[in-house]
Amino acid sequence: MTAPAHPSLAAERTALAWRRTALGLVAGSVAAGRLLVEIWGVAAWSVTLAGTVLAAVVLRAARRRRHDLHGRQTPGAAPHVGRDPGGRLVTACAAALVLLGGAALVVVLTRPG
Amino acid sequence: MEPEQQTPGRRFPQSVYGVGSEPDARFSLANERTFLAWARTGLALLAGGVALEALDLPVERGLRLSAAVLLIALGALAPAVAWWGWSRVERAMRRSDPLPAPVGFGLLVVGVGVAGVLVLVGLLRA
Repeated sequence: MTAPAHPSLAAERTALAWRRTALGLVAGSVAAGRLLVEIWGVAAWSVTLAGTVLAAVVLRAARRRRHDLHGRQTPGAAPHVGRDPGGRLVTACAAALVLLGGAALVVVLTRPG
Repeated sequence: MEPEQQTPGRRFPQSVYGVGSEPDARFSLANERTFLAWARTGLALLAGGVALEALDLPVERGLRLSAAVLLIALGALAPAVAWWGWSRVERAMRRSDPLPAPVGFGLLVVGVGVAGVLVLVGLLRA
């Protein structure tokens, strides 16, 4: 298998896609906090806080992923032995979003009025 | 391609990374972007469903709730389907198999269409 010539642009696009997703998570958690404030009071902002923290974790992991890939694919770059980007971040992201969806379903179905 | 740098036992999930050999990184990255596009679609569906219920729109309550639940259910399902598609594509690329057909588009289109009809009928009845 030949080494890819320039994986860095694809890696950059992917990093941007992760950033957009994290941004969507922040926007969504702000909206959720605002809407839930009418039902839960101030406690609803904890949803916003949780979403923002999760987005920060995702951004950090995606950044590390990009560096790992860069280290592995770029000739001359410092090798990051044993740190091939795997599927952990993707799996964690999918699981978190499924949980978020389940929570939204419960909130909507148990909403008074 | 660089067996001395690989630690295959440590890469998750094994169902994906336990087979075949490392594909061109650009293809793996494109696969990841497709997953992320699905994840954002799921987020948007969640936002739409929650907004429908939260904004007190003049739509008949039962139909509005049905549409909201349908959108949120699709939004919760989308990331799971996206993960499944991601793992299938990654596995196929590692084995140099033909790429599997995408899944979930039909469900998404039909689901969003049905939700739209529910809202429309609910608007007319309110």
